[in-house]
Amino acid sequence: MKTKDIVLIALFTALIIALGLVPPIPMPLVPVPLTLQTFGVMLVGLILGPARGGLVLLLYVTIALLGLPVLPGGRAGLAVLAGPTAGFLLGMIPGAVVTGWLAIQLSGNERSKAGSRSPDDSQSIVRWQIARGAFAAIVGGIVLVYAIGVPWLALVTKMGLTKACWAMAVFVPGDLLKALVAAVVAQRIRRLNMV
Amino acid sequence: MIGSLYLPGKTWLHLAPAGLKLAVLAFSSSALMWVHSPLLLSVACAQVCFLMYWAGASLRQVWQQMRPLIWMLLLLGGLSAWSQGVLQASEMVLRLLTLVLAALLVSMTTPLTQMMQVVVWLLVPFQRLGWVDADRVALSVGLTLRFIPELGVQWQEIREAQLARGMTPSPLTMGVPMLLRTLRRADEIAEAIDARG
Repeated sequence: MKTKDIVLIALFTALIIALGLVPPIPMPLVPVPLTLQTFGVMLVGLILGPARGGLVLLLYVTIALLGLPVLPGGRAGLAVLAGPTAGFLLGMIPGAVVTGWLAIQLSGNERSKAGSRSPDDSQSIVRWQIARGAFAAIVGGIVLVYAIGVPWLALVTKMGLTKACWAMAVFVPGDLLKALVAAVVAQRIRRLNMV
Repeated sequence: MIGSLYLPGKTWLHLAPAGLKLAVLAFSSSALMWVHSPLLLSVACAQVCFLMYWAGASLRQVWQQMRPLIWMLLLLGGLSAWSQGVLQASEMVLRLLTLVLAALLVSMTTPLTQMMQVVVWLLVPFQRLGWVDADRVALSVGLTLRFIPELGVQWQEIREAQLARGMTPSPLTMGVPMLLRTLRRADEIAEAIDARG
């Protein structure tokens, strides 16, 4: 691993933490403000790819468990691991890996097809890139994170799987919107800057 | 801007080695899973609370950490009391409360450097296998902590620049410049580190 990778991992971890400390941006349409629990997972996975993205979240979780109040609401420490939402926190690590991996898998198809496209339908290429990013973000950042977080919640609280699903369903619309925003941001970044 | 949970003190809880505290925490937390009597659980919970008071934790700091959880516990407790009975609900709530408070106690009595040493110690077997380099892990943690306030300033700059141009900040208009600047900075920092060897 090169120095640049280490610096990138450290800076993106700092970015996730710093964004958690600034006042949240209100999102259009949904009453839930843009927090970083899942947004960071999607963005980091899409921009840095599976290996570095996973390491960013691993570092983030480690720093939180070490006792620095970096989680939303200033929580921290090993106490988080004992709490009912620990599954969502730990699920973020494989979530970023899968988002990054899926994004690469999908864009691999695109590169082989891109040759046959004429340059003037770049509009639709952009749309496809965003759709692919959003799909990767939804699978990795939502489906996988919930697949780990919801059973964990059900197990810790003994509330039953179906009830846990209903309790968490409130957050799904906001997360879907986050996936879309993350895909748009990642597409613009990739166009402007080769990572 | 960002401080650790650690509360300085001189009790034996502070002086005990971090590794031992974490091991005891892990063991007692798993043991608690097999305790089902609400009475025993409340005794355990009271013990942890007493230790916390004795270690010098202020009510305000504990409350600040527990506040988000308390609401969740009340909600879950209510739900479970309604569906499974009061006994089950009190067992679940008491167990969670004890686990969380015990973990908080360890975090409050262990300085960050000692926690970091435990992490590095845990990494040693992986380092032997050549999977990780403990120095690089330490470097990345240090860099992260150093750059949290820097990125906060960067956020403020971008926001002010946009407000000056009459733009209302949105996730898109903030996200793109924020990420671009961070990527550029990573380039510069990596060059600087390499140049110094």
